[in-house]
Amino acid sequence: MAGELEGSKSLSGLLSGLAQEAFHGHQGITEELLRSQLYPEVSLEEFRPFLAKMRGILKSIASADMDFNQLEAFLTAQTKKQGGITSDQAAVISKFWKSHKTKIRESLMNQSRWDSGLRGLSWRIDGKSQSRHSAQIHTPVAIMELEIGKSGQNQDQFRLWIKRTALCLKDKQASNLKGKYSLVFNLHNSGAPGWHSR
Amino acid sequence: MEGCSEPRLDAKSEVTNQLVDFQWKLGMAVSSDSCRSLKYPYVAVLLKVADHSGQVKSKSFEMTIPQFQNFYRQFKEIAAVIETV
Repeated sequence: MAGELEGSKSLSGLLSGLAQEAFHGHQGITEELLRSQLYPEVSLEEFRPFLAKMRGILKSIASADMDFNQLEAFLTAQTKKQGGITSDQAAVISKFWKSHKTKIRESLMNQSRWDSGLRGLSWRIDGKSQSRHSAQIHTPVAIMELEIGKSGQNQDQFRLWIKRTALCLKDKQASNLKGKYSLVFNLHNSGAPGWHSR
Repeated sequence: MEGCSEPRLDAKSEVTNQLVDFQWKLGMAVSSDSCRSLKYPYVAVLLKVADHSGQVKSKSFEMTIPQFQNFYRQFKEIAAVIETV
């Protein structure tokens, strides 16, 4: 029944389901599941275009990362359109975006992250090193263990060590307001090729 | 390479990789197929390590800015603590 679709009660739940499926990668949220859970009185034929419309609206908002002004303008335009949304529905969508925006953006950023991420970092410092191969003792060394991988996959544990004499940090801040940081690490390692920041 | 003649340190695990190079870049992902207005700053890091035989291999990964700040903070802490040992 059209009246059911125009109501706004179940819309919040619908938007959550759509966000789970479209942004957070949740499998198994089908049309039929959403319909039966949220709009049981509505036929699938009627529900389908309604769902498509809401999905389209949500994706537009997320894709443009709308701020509140843009959101209001966009939703107002949708209420004026033929076959658009009601002002009640606009209010629900607005409230939904305001409370879920950060999480959705985070999911979108994760989707565009194709390289492995740093999942974990631990370190320790060993005071001495000595072995039958080397007479050198009192050579403190830092050992770092990095967990590198993509979410949902097995992490790669990567261990490395750094001599004390090779570790010297120098940082320089290039600009601040927009959160851009420029840091220069200088690693002095005799024999190793020099390297530089980009 | 002088550094590679250093012994392994950890008796129970294989810590053979010595850090020989560290490169980074700061990038901004502006747009993607799933999000037109992405505006996502990130730091990509390339580590180069040498194993016992001197063979160099690379490892790269990406971090968000807060992750990078934490990573950098840890590096500074290591540098500070290692001076006291």
